[in-house]
Amino acid sequence: MEKLKVGGLKQSLELCQFDLRGPDSSEKTVSKISKLLASEKTNIEFLTYNPNSDKYNQLILCVSQDKFSSTSEILKRDGSPTGWQITWREHVGILTVFPHHSAIKILGVIMVSWGTQSIPIHGIATSLSAISFVTDYHCIDKAVEAIQHSFQLPENRAPLKPEIRYYQSDIVKGE
Amino acid sequence: METIAVYWEPRIKTYGFQKLTDLAFVEFSYPVHEMKSLGEVLSRDELRGVNTKFMIAQESDGEASFIFCLPVEEGKAFRESLEKNLTTHRYIYPVGIIFFHGPHFGDRYGIADAAFSTLSNADIEVMASGCSSASVFLVLVQDDMDKAEKVLGEAFEVAK
Repeated sequence: MEKLKVGGLKQSLELCQFDLRGPDSSEKTVSKISKLLASEKTNIEFLTYNPNSDKYNQLILCVSQDKFSSTSEILKRDGSPTGWQITWREHVGILTVFPHHSAIKILGVIMVSWGTQSIPIHGIATSLSAISFVTDYHCIDKAVEAIQHSFQLPENRAPLKPEIRYYQSDIVKGE
Repeated sequence: METIAVYWEPRIKTYGFQKLTDLAFVEFSYPVHEMKSLGEVLSRDELRGVNTKFMIAQESDGEASFIFCLPVEEGKAFRESLEKNLTTHRYIYPVGIIFFHGPHFGDRYGIADAAFSTLSNADIEVMASGCSSASVFLVLVQDDMDKAEKVLGEAFEVAK
């Protein structure tokens, strides 16, 4: 059977994931937490928010692994509204797939492929041209292999792993 | 190799806001240990033409909750497939999505703060959000879309 085509794959550097959930139905919690992380100059590399789930409101975010200690400290100290619970995973990564079309089918194929190989999915988010999956960092290579096995990738695809890391500096040129 | 990108903007630049309206919002949960069987349903050919405009999945307590936003006709086919093969779901119609991206959004802090604080200050309810691959996606009550575009347009600078 002909494999579905995807436009490419991109892999993140090592991240950590925080899962905040609680009864407050106000989106001001997301505003408060994103403000706290901005004040710590922490980039949120992945975020999903569902305030209307049956059980509770849930915010999931991923930040660089080297921000794990500072982020967990600030979330525990200032970021948790009454009744909210914070859990985390210290070592995760994001694998982003660029489908040409049939995004739901591609999602399904990946769920079957990863499920067969016990590769966990801790979060998913789509953008205009991509589907991003959060998984355990130690599973990333296996997850890439599973995707390469399941889909037809272009021969001249971009490198899978980032070669440049960007930091945002406070120093303004010319100051 | 370390590259330091320096940004200082009185207002964060974006490449503009895009809106999608008249979408169907479909939410359901599924046991994490049965993810493979959900994948088997989603990978069926009957859903090949279904084009989701937004999707997030979150895991907690052994369950994964999924939200899809789809054009209404495709949403109908998707719901039929869910009803036939899976479980109960929550359905809302109509909803809208506003989404945007900008220079190095994936590498910079403060973008989510600017977006969520702006909506919060304007008392606009966010029904769901997904930020990945340097993009910000916000699912809103359809009636709030114009107001959201206005306040976000004041908070962010749209590149010309």
